[in-house]
Amino acid sequence: MIFREVEDRDLIAKARRGNVDAHNVLVSRWEKRVYNYLLRLVRNREDALDLAQDVFLKAFQNLKKLDDPDRFPAWLYRIAHNEAYSLLRRRKPETDLEGVEPRVGGSASRMFPAELTLAVDTALGRLSPDQREAVVLKIYEGFKFDEMAEVLGCPVSTVKSRLYTALDLLKETLAPIRIRGAE
Amino acid sequence: MNCSSIDLKAYFLGELDRGAKSACADHITRCDDCHEELERLRLTQTALMTLPDEEIPQRIAFVSDRVFEPRWWQAIWRSGPAMGFASAALLSCAILVHGFTRPAPVVVASAPLTQAIQVDQARIERKIEEQVNLRMAELGNRQAAESAKLVAAVEKKFQFRQRADLVSAQETIRMYQQQMGRLMVAYNPSSNLSNQEGAR
Repeated sequence: MIFREVEDRDLIAKARRGNVDAHNVLVSRWEKRVYNYLLRLVRNREDALDLAQDVFLKAFQNLKKLDDPDRFPAWLYRIAHNEAYSLLRRRKPETDLEGVEPRVGGSASRMFPAELTLAVDTALGRLSPDQREAVVLKIYEGFKFDEMAEVLGCPVSTVKSRLYTALDLLKETLAPIRIRGAE
Repeated sequence: MNCSSIDLKAYFLGELDRGAKSACADHITRCDDCHEELERLRLTQTALMTLPDEEIPQRIAFVSDRVFEPRWWQAIWRSGPAMGFASAALLSCAILVHGFTRPAPVVVASAPLTQAIQVDQARIERKIEEQVNLRMAELGNRQAAESAKLVAAVEKKFQFRQRADLVSAQETIRMYQQQMGRLMVAYNPSSNLSNQEGAR
């Protein structure tokens, strides 16, 4: 992990100087994570792929604005967050995003065939986009609270509030399922 | 330490510093409720992690891919020298067009100035002409005066020579007459006597 971070820093430095190959390597390293992050937010493969393409293009165009290469992951996810919420706002322009009931079933059901996976997907879908994003950033992407605050553009206290509420909701749904399954 | 004073979720998520983490761990070993709560959180996390990462269906296009290659006009637009040349060409065209389609009011606006320049030029030309005529007249008068002087001098010299010639001719005639008289006396003495008698 340490070597990977050092290599990323070198690649970022080269890409900032206009080295396209270095940027291509960065894309290859981060495309799967960014794609899955976007997929869990927008819950649609085509949208997630289009957004991921836009994210890396914007990252290439704005890489010189990144002051600290060590903040590259949070910076990249911040771009992805903005792109995803721009799409969600276009989809639901008249609705407050806090109250959006995520899409479940349909294509989501076909995405994950296993029963538990379906239950997890359904439980995540019942969260608000903000809560779901907090869970994705912490549980799946492993960001720290301060990094999450940078990605989401809000205070750490807000991050913790969203995440704790989401964990309580998920716990009510998923923990009993596991317990019953264990029985 | 009681249940309300610990941040169990922060402990579960690995966000506590070493001291708080140790204190929280001690509390959990003694508190069944917090222990059960921690187990439920772990079950929830385990369930969440069953949701696998998907493989990306199509790799993200690199900026070096052909799809991102600029079109010909984009290449020109992004090229500094080409844009400079195009700007210079555009500026030249604008100057040419402006030269050929110069609006009439510009001429009207400069008419008084043109007229003033023309008036000044005419006045200068007239003064030059006057000065030239004056100088030419003075020169003509001076030449006429000198010519008259020359003519007068020539006439005076001519008259002097003419008078000298006349005197010389009279002198010559008088000498011839004297010589003729002597000759006649020498060859005809009777006549001389008769003449002398006749004279008497």
